[in-house]
This record gives sequence, structure tokens and C-alpha cells, in this order.
Amino acid sequence: MANAWKIARKSNAQLPLLIVIALAVVLVLLGKAQSGLFDRARAHATDLMAPLLQKVRAPVAGFDRWIGSIGEIFSVYEQNLKLKEENARLRQWRNVAIVLQGRVGRYQSLLHAVPDPQMNRVLARVIGRASRPFLQTMILDAGRGNQVLPGQAVMDARGMIGRIYLTGQRTSWVILLTDLNSRIPVTIAPRNVQAMMTGDNTANPVLNLVSHTVTLHAGDQVISSGDGGLLPAGLPVGTVLPDGAGGWRVALLADAAASQDVEILNFSKPPEAPPATAQLPAEAAGLKPQAPPPQATTAPVVAAPAKPKPAAVAPAAPAAAEPAEDR
Amino acid sequence: MVSLERTTAPPRFRHLVATIPALCGLLGALIANIPISLLGGLVPAPLLALVPVYFWCLVRPDLMTPAVALLIGMAEDILSGGPPGIWTLAFVLTYALVARQRDSFAGLGGLAAVLGFAAAAAFACAVAYFAVAGFAFLTPGAHLPPVPPILGELAMTVLFYPPSTLAMGWLHHKLVGASRGDV
Repeated sequence: MANAWKIARKSNAQLPLLIVIALAVVLVLLGKAQSGLFDRARAHATDLMAPLLQKVRAPVAGFDRWIGSIGEIFSVYEQNLKLKEENARLRQWRNVAIVLQGRVGRYQSLLHAVPDPQMNRVLARVIGRASRPFLQTMILDAGRGNQVLPGQAVMDARGMIGRIYLTGQRTSWVILLTDLNSRIPVTIAPRNVQAMMTGDNTANPVLNLVSHTVTLHAGDQVISSGDGGLLPAGLPVGTVLPDGAGGWRVALLADAAASQDVEILNFSKPPEAPPATAQLPAEAAGLKPQAPPPQATTAPVVAAPAKPKPAAVAPAAPAAAEPAEDR
Repeated sequence: MVSLERTTAPPRFRHLVATIPALCGLLGALIANIPISLLGGLVPAPLLALVPVYFWCLVRPDLMTPAVALLIGMAEDILSGGPPGIWTLAFVLTYALVARQRDSFAGLGGLAAVLGFAAAAAFACAVAYFAVAGFAFLTPGAHLPPVPPILGELAMTVLFYPPSTLAMGWLHHKLVGASRGDV
């Protein structure tokens, strides 16, 4: 303790060392409790740097691609054959998908299914990436000025990359699915197994299954579940991968290191209005409202509504009741 | 490592020159955190801001004060986008370590000087890692941060120490000079 004061005096410090250390500790705790202060400063700094980043992006991206392709030069021929074979297989799957999409559309029409929510998409360019020990992020050239908000999903052509977690006026930061702080609810097809996918700064995020009695298989498809209403359901994420220690990880479809242009999905699920008391439970089930009991009855009237609104009774009641369910 | 030259800056620029250590740290934080990956994210960016904290703490502790170390750490935190305050704490504690052992660190030369910096940088990285790991430990369902990325950052920082020191040594000799007490 005495040494610390001595050091501070020796270096003519205006603030003694111990006070500065205490300030740093307070800053850590404050940052944990109220990260908004740091976030605003970061957003401003990124907005200021955005023009510079946009200018240097092209040469750096070219250099990056050149460096990344050095190892691939020696396997171009094999890769070409493999890609041709994969392309032929994918064309077959494309035809199957188109047929199935039409069939699903017809079924939805027959069942009066609630249509998928419309999503606005903002196309953004990646102007920066950072891979730090405690943060894996990318910076996009779209911000609040483009209606980009924290929480929105970011996709490339193959699948989900991450979520927006900080927005400036012209730029936004994406927290990648591989980041230590990323957690999204996912569904594993075909058994609809629910799980939480958490990043741990490795290339393959960890799957934490909600139920431990289910069995997974390598190659099962992982999609966003939409639980919590933050992300749309059904976004392609990746495939299941065994981690060799009894657990499961996800091989992501998207390649965050190579993506240049991404889509930001503006998904906001409309808030669900609670039904009026008069509608429960009979009208919500599609039944005709009962006539109000006669006033002469001495029994207390609790369940039967006194005066239901006639307009609230929809003829296609099953369809009207469906929006309450999370699809 | 301590220069015996007097400052060559004219007296009227003395106040400006006194800000050089702080500017070196802020510039290091800015350069290292420009979010551009030259190698596809395979290699982490070095902690360039730590080099001025270490260097000027040894040669001009009157200019690299604890408050300046705090300021540089905050700049690193804001620009790096990581958990807030982590690098501030790491830089300030490393400053305290280096200042406490100033005579030992300043007496090193050649490869030993690089190893001395490596020890200080390892201490900074360890502080940052354990701070983040502590918070992860307290958060239900959170994973501990992996060790290899922080080791990669440490290695890159040590790799960039010799060229950075050459540049700052030049600034020290040509502009800043030794403190009155060292001459």
C-alpha cells in the first residue's frame, strides 16, 4: 500500500495510483450494469470512422481474399469437380423445394393459416470486422437512419450470421453467432427439438438442449425457433455436429469471415392484444355467445358475459383464434 | 533504456511535447482497433496501446501518469467493443506493476527487454481474461472465454513491441527527452 503511494508521488501523478485503480474497478462494474454509456461512445466513434472504413474496404477486402485463396490454389481442380457435383444435386433439391413450397401454400390456404409476418429487409455492406479475444463482431454501413435497430437478425445468402446489438446513425455492430455473448433459441429439425445455441468464440457454437432425453443426429438442420419474438422463426442457421465429448455443436451455414453484403431483417412481431373478457372462453372457441342469464336469478353471474358485442363474433372463428398461437 | 539527453523541443512546445506519451497510447488504441481484418480474422490484433503505457512508464513516468494509463485503457475499451472497463483495469494494474518494478524493467536490454515487456503484457492479458471469466462464471449458462485467442493477442503484442519501441525511442530522443531528474 505504501509502495503504491510512493510510486504515485514519484511519477508526479495528479491522481494517486490507488484512486485510479479504484476508478478502473468502478468502471468495470458500471460497464456491466450500464453498458449504454460505452455503447453510445462506440456508436459515435464508428459513425465517425465510417467514411474511412468504406474507402479502405475495397483494397483490404481484395488483399484479404488474395491471402485467403493462397491455400486454395492447390486444390482448385478437386474443388471444381466437387462443386459441379454439388450444383447438380442442389438443382434437384431446388425443384423439390419449389413443388413443396406450392403444396405448403395450398395447405395454408385450405387451413386459413395465419400468413407469415412481412419483413422489411435492409441490404447493408460489411465495412469492418473485428475478431478480439472477447468479441467477434462486424460493422455494417446501415444504422438508425436506415431503420436498423438492435436485436434484428443479420443474414447472408446462406444463413444467419448474427444479430444487431449496437446502432449508430449510419453504422451498426453485429454480434456474431460465434461470439461469447450470443444466445439464440433454435429448433432442430426434423423432430422439432428445442435448444439454446450459445457462442463460445469458436467456429461452432454449442447446443444446449432443453430436454436431455432427445437424441440428435449429425447433419440435422438447425433453424431459429422464434421463441421470445425477437427473431423470426425458420431462419436457417446450420447443421448439428457432434463435438466428440458427448455434446453437440452447430456447423454454421453462413461464413461471417467472407460475407461482404448482408441483409438485416426488420422483424417486429405485432404485440398480441389480450382478448376482451367477453370473448373468453366461449367466443374464442368459435361458439355462439350465450344469452345473458335472467336478472331474477339469485346465483352470481361470473362466467357468462352480460352483454357480448355481436360484432366480436367472427363467423370463421377457428381462424380468428389462431393468431394467439406462436407458430 | 533511460536516455541521458535533454529534450530538444523548444520551451514553448514543452506542454505539447508532454502529451506525446498519451497521444502514442491513444494512437495505438485507434490503429489496433480499426475494424479491418487483413488475414481473415485468423490473427488477432495486437494490444498496441499497451506498448506506450509500458515504454513511457519506464522512461518518463512523470508524463505517463496513472490517469493517462486510465485514459488509454478507456480508449481501448471503447474502440475494441469488448466488455466495458476490462482493458482499463488491465492497463492500470499493469501500470502499477511496471511502476513498482520500474528499476528492474528499465535495466533490461536486448532480448531481455522484450521478455520483460512480454511478462507485463502477459499480466495485462491475464487480468483481462480473469475479469471476463469471473463475470462469465457469475452468469448462468455462460461459457468461459477460450484461452487460445488471448494467447494469440499476447503473441501479436509481443511481436509488435520491438518496432513500436523503435518509433517511440525516436520520439523520446528527438522530441520528449529525459526528465530533469534522470539527467
